Amino acid sequence: MALPVALTFLIDLLALLGIFAIISLSLNIEFGYTGIPNFGKLLAVAGGAFFVGAVPGRILAYVYNALDNLDYIRDTNLVMTNINRILSTDVLSSITLLILSLLGAAFIGAILGFIASYPAIRLREDYLAITLLAMAEILVMIGRNYEDLIGGTRGVAIPDPFRWVGGEWRFVAATCTILVVLLLILFYVESISRSPLGRTLRAIRDDEISAEVFGKDVVKIRMKVLMVGSSIAAVGGALSAFLSGSVVAAGFTRVTHTFWPWVMVIIGGAANNFGVLLGSALFVTLRKVITFYKDVFKPFLPFDVVWLEYLLLGIILIIVLIYRPEGIIPEKPSRTLSRRELDQIMRELKLKTAK
Amino acid sequence: MIPPMFRDAIIFAALLSMLSTSLTLTYMTTKVPNFAHGNFATIGIYMTLLLAKVLKLNVYFTLIPSLIVGGVVALILYLFVLKPLMDRGANYITLMIATIAYDMILFSFLNIFADYLTRTFKIPARLFILKSLDFRVMGQPGLFIIAPLLAVISVISFYLLLNKTKFGIAMRAAIENPSLASVVGINVNLTYAVSWFISGGLAGLAGALTPLLITCDTNTGMTLIVHIFAASIVGGLTNIYGAFFGGLLIGLAERLGTGYLSLQVGTWIIAYRSIIPLAFMVVTLLFAPKGLTSIPWKKILRRR
Repeated sequence: MALPVALTFLIDLLALLGIFAIISLSLNIEFGYTGIPNFGKLLAVAGGAFFVGAVPGRILAYVYNALDNLDYIRDTNLVMTNINRILSTDVLSSITLLILSLLGAAFIGAILGFIASYPAIRLREDYLAITLLAMAEILVMIGRNYEDLIGGTRGVAIPDPFRWVGGEWRFVAATCTILVVLLLILFYVESISRSPLGRTLRAIRDDEISAEVFGKDVVKIRMKVLMVGSSIAAVGGALSAFLSGSVVAAGFTRVTHTFWPWVMVIIGGAANNFGVLLGSALFVTLRKVITFYKDVFKPFLPFDVVWLEYLLLGIILIIVLIYRPEGIIPEKPSRTLSRRELDQIMRELKLKTAK
Repeated sequence: MIPPMFRDAIIFAALLSMLSTSLTLTYMTTKVPNFAHGNFATIGIYMTLLLAKVLKLNVYFTLIPSLIVGGVVALILYLFVLKPLMDRGANYITLMIATIAYDMILFSFLNIFADYLTRTFKIPARLFILKSLDFRVMGQPGLFIIAPLLAVISVISFYLLLNKTKFGIAMRAAIENPSLASVVGINVNLTYAVSWFISGGLAGLAGALTPLLITCDTNTGMTLIVHIFAASIVGGLTNIYGAFFGGLLIGLAERLGTGYLSLQVGTWIIAYRSIIPLAFMVVTLLFAPKGLTSIPWKKILRRR
């Protein structure tokens, strides 16, 4: 059963939006709330995706005995056809596979975040940004060249936990899963930002010394924030792998998985989760629209339309930075008390002044 | 007879040290880690392609135009993007993002230009190498003389500029203490603008020579930028001469290190070549967080 074009477009859009919103929200915790310039977002995203490429498939191949004389990396398509045939009839295993893989990716992300936090608590900020960037480059370079991990330049196919849905509806199922995960993560980061912890993070961002004076362990908190942020980003990477059904190291670059989330956070509004959501939505929609209308412009231009996209994004980013550096939806002051209690206090104050 | 591996390593190190020196200059003056620096070099690369392949000039004619175009592109970044941001009190993260945004714009223009060259003049504008256009001296490519010579000339002129000319001394004053410098009548903004022009020009110059050594593409600069930062950080990020030696060290370590290792453990190691500069950088940062020039060498030497 084929899906109508408009629905395919929408599903594609929502899936991409979900993945990038998850990654941007994780960056927002690190940069927006805590002020860590994580230019190595790619590290965690690629880590999550590489995990999904390397581990669950191997375990399933062992459990289902799907290997029979096939090489996991070289005959990846054959192995996965075998595994997916079994998965397509076994709903329970598919769902277990999905949940366990996401948890595993989150765990790998946390470990990578812990490794990244080693320089993060020692270095000055501009050195830190470049070190994190370099660490991400190293991981991707290993993924691209070490064939036994995820097949090097050719990539690997991964088990498809949505196969039982059938046909093209698997994309609908995958997109719904991504959106559910996004909602859970949004709920989580939003509750952090409203909690006392959220105010502590902002205090560390705005004035590290005074946060320390008030007894906050800045080093430990930064470490934890990087671990949480990285595990969220790794879940995003894992979901993007499940959506496409394969992992290719070349698909993970500094531009797509570090700079674009930065653009989304900056345009939408750092330290405001809904701003970041809006930023991701705008960014993804803009890109999608450009690619959709690519063929219309093609005859008139002596070059590939893809490059106009970079041009447009660069210009928009610079304009936002100069004229609206706080983003479209700026950070809101955090309410320490509920509105009812605040009104109560205001009323009492008014009574006092009236006396 | 000089082995080709050694020769290429020296040329690469010379080009890298020119790039890291120029990156460090703008970092010192305006405190911006400039991510667009790699693409200033790519502009030089495509200037060479344009002049050598389309206009059929000698490859070394490209040096002056590359210097000027690179300088102008850097100056535009400073005057129209960074200066307005700095006037609004932007912090270094915002400035860094702005250079990335400018980098995207440059990248898009470079790709459009490459597509245009391919379609209009039917020349390969992607993954090209112009080694065959170089002249030869005593069986060696001319670049083997030109690149180290240019690197040494550039660092010596930096020394002369910063120590022997009035403008250079004013520039140093503006680096040390901008507000005090402007009180005594130094045009701080002018010194910053000039530093951006020099930086972009030198990067364009280094880039112009790159296609004579390695296979180039529109993303060559984006690949190189990580090496440039590594070299500059190893040198301390705030010291021009440190950056020069950092570039030499990283360039030689990458080329000779992988060359040596591939003989020892097998050719598979060549794929991981770029890890060497990054690993170098991480190790330097962990043990000498302010770079090699921050280590009190004189003290250590005196103790012996």
